[in-house]
Amino acid sequence: MADAAAAAALLKKEFSEAVLAMASIHGISWLRIQTDQVPLLVHYLHAKPDVRGSLSLLWAVDHRPREARYEVLYLFTLAERQDWLLLSTELSDETRLFRSITPHIHAAQWYEREIRDMFGLIPQGHPDLRRLVRHEHWPKGTHPLKKDFAWDQVLGRQQGEYRFRHIEGEGVFEAPVGPIHAGIIEPGHFRFSVAGEPILQLEVRHFWKHRGVEKLFEQRTLIDAVPLAERVSGDTSVGHGLAYCQAVEMMMGMTVPRRGRYLRSLFLELERIHNHLGDVGAICNDTAYTLAHAHCGRMKERIMQLNDRLTGSRFLRGVLTVGGVTRGLAALQFDEIVAELDQIEKDFSELESIIFANASLADRLETTGVLTERTARDHVVTGVIGRASGIDRDIRRDRPFAAYDELPVNVALYQYGDVRARLRVRIDEIHESIRLIREIRRKIPAGPIAVEPSRVPNPGEWGLSAVEGWRGEILYYVMAGENGCIHRCKVRDPSFVNWPAIQWAVQGNIIPDFPLINKSFNLSYAGNDL
Amino acid sequence: MFRILKKSLKTGVVTGRYPSAVQPAEQIAAGAREKADPFGRSLTIREVDTGSCNACEMEMNALTNSVYDIERFGIHVAASPRHADALVVTGPVTVNMERALKDVYKQTPDPKLVIALGDCAINCGLFKGSYAVTGPVERHIPVDVRIPGCPPRPAEILKVLSELRGGDDRQ
Repeated sequence: MADAAAAAALLKKEFSEAVLAMASIHGISWLRIQTDQVPLLVHYLHAKPDVRGSLSLLWAVDHRPREARYEVLYLFTLAERQDWLLLSTELSDETRLFRSITPHIHAAQWYEREIRDMFGLIPQGHPDLRRLVRHEHWPKGTHPLKKDFAWDQVLGRQQGEYRFRHIEGEGVFEAPVGPIHAGIIEPGHFRFSVAGEPILQLEVRHFWKHRGVEKLFEQRTLIDAVPLAERVSGDTSVGHGLAYCQAVEMMMGMTVPRRGRYLRSLFLELERIHNHLGDVGAICNDTAYTLAHAHCGRMKERIMQLNDRLTGSRFLRGVLTVGGVTRGLAALQFDEIVAELDQIEKDFSELESIIFANASLADRLETTGVLTERTARDHVVTGVIGRASGIDRDIRRDRPFAAYDELPVNVALYQYGDVRARLRVRIDEIHESIRLIREIRRKIPAGPIAVEPSRVPNPGEWGLSAVEGWRGEILYYVMAGENGCIHRCKVRDPSFVNWPAIQWAVQGNIIPDFPLINKSFNLSYAGNDL
Repeated sequence: MFRILKKSLKTGVVTGRYPSAVQPAEQIAAGAREKADPFGRSLTIREVDTGSCNACEMEMNALTNSVYDIERFGIHVAASPRHADALVVTGPVTVNMERALKDVYKQTPDPKLVIALGDCAINCGLFKGSYAVTGPVERHIPVDVRIPGCPPRPAEILKVLSELRGGDDRQ
């Protein structure tokens, strides 16, 4: 028993009083549940051996002004066929309380704190109710995603201090790092507790870059919000743009023409290659092995220049639109892409043999920053990081989107969960992406590249989509408002679930290895902070 | 060892293999060039991200690769604002980063230049007006040079930096 409909039926049977409604929307099984029964039900769903639902997303919607109610939604992915099961529960405007599921499901912790900050709904029984997104200087009662909060209001300032978790004892020191770091990277704060060299504890304090992205989405129409999605996390322009477009297309019931879908896969793989090339070099660079960094930087630059020649943007911005893509490619351009990638693959293979012949590099990478499979599963870690810790998940294979139903993907999988495993996954994926692009050139059909949106969706209609970006699973939930505007857009970058996991991967390592471990995760700050 | 040498010889010199900047950069104000005078032909930069999407950071990083090799012009990236001649600021200034930006500005020794990199730093870009954004960089600290683009290409950044130093971006 594995598919979502069967699981939904099972829940309905076991908890007949708690389940208030049941339906299938856009092929996603959905159950509405009584608020106080949610923890019991999700615990059952999570723990039952033949269901094993893992929490993929948890978010809230403010239905005002249409209806005076809030809704909290839980998206579970079932173990075997990666089916989605959607649970929801309703809160009235007065109560503002819902039952926390964090005591049962660890992965819910940041989501519930986020809901508390953004909506002012309080997860009862949550073990850690410190602020997450709102820093302490934000005035009390500021909940930006509530509909009565003006998107452009000016925030006041209050006094306040974030309380870090402290470890006390003889010889224990705290080392604060950030928000501004030594390299050219994004801001974030890391607080280490160390005894001598080894790290006892790391606490990540982020959300310095919170720009109010989800609120800004609500100021746009469904069609013209693509540029904003492309700028959620600049290095994942195609990933985020595509996840957004697919959610809107699901809502409106649009079918993207085959050629358009192939081109989307092409752009997504190009983005994967240039980011992975950069990461391979950067991981080597953090062990002071600059030779590999120089070569990888050069290859990455070639792809960025190729992107620029193909689309006029080094980050492939502006190629996606709701309904398809904006740029078709000529046959000659396909030849150019494949010729360039052939050269790069040869070049990169030579470099690979140099990298792996280096014993001092191997010494730094092996057994450093181990993320165990158990910890990874508890945090529902996704993408490259998950696949390096033995989690065999890849949306391209498990829930095919774009053209991946016709392009089978070989998923890279390693067990050990150390920096080397994460490096290996990236290297394998570079080769796989190049193979996929060759395949795309061979198989791409002729025809139109986009369709026009045929109708304006009714308020309350929604769509949900997942894309395997180069970091991992990107999720978008988009709900329509009046006149083709956006009522709610929930954005989930893979970094949001992977950041808490890094706190466990560094334990027992020494501080000088932290930059290396952090680089091997290479998570987005902008995508996390939103 | 032999393999590494072979690879280096095969690769050859890649520096300078990039298309020239096409976007006409904004004219650098005479005041800014005057302020850059004391640094002569070199410039040490501290990069500060106050809420960008990371694309501008990636292009700044690209400047240090072997294709653009910014160091050949005497431009370095410092790890601390206390070692910097110029601050390069990216992103709209978020409410959470406002204080950090002002602190960094204070920590940078005079004389100093401030370069706003990318549309967000110049006018907040798509994030203009948001409750979480407190306005472009120049609302908080004086800006001397602006490099527009979303993000500006490395060649365009290089062009402006070279002009600032009174040099050519090809040699």
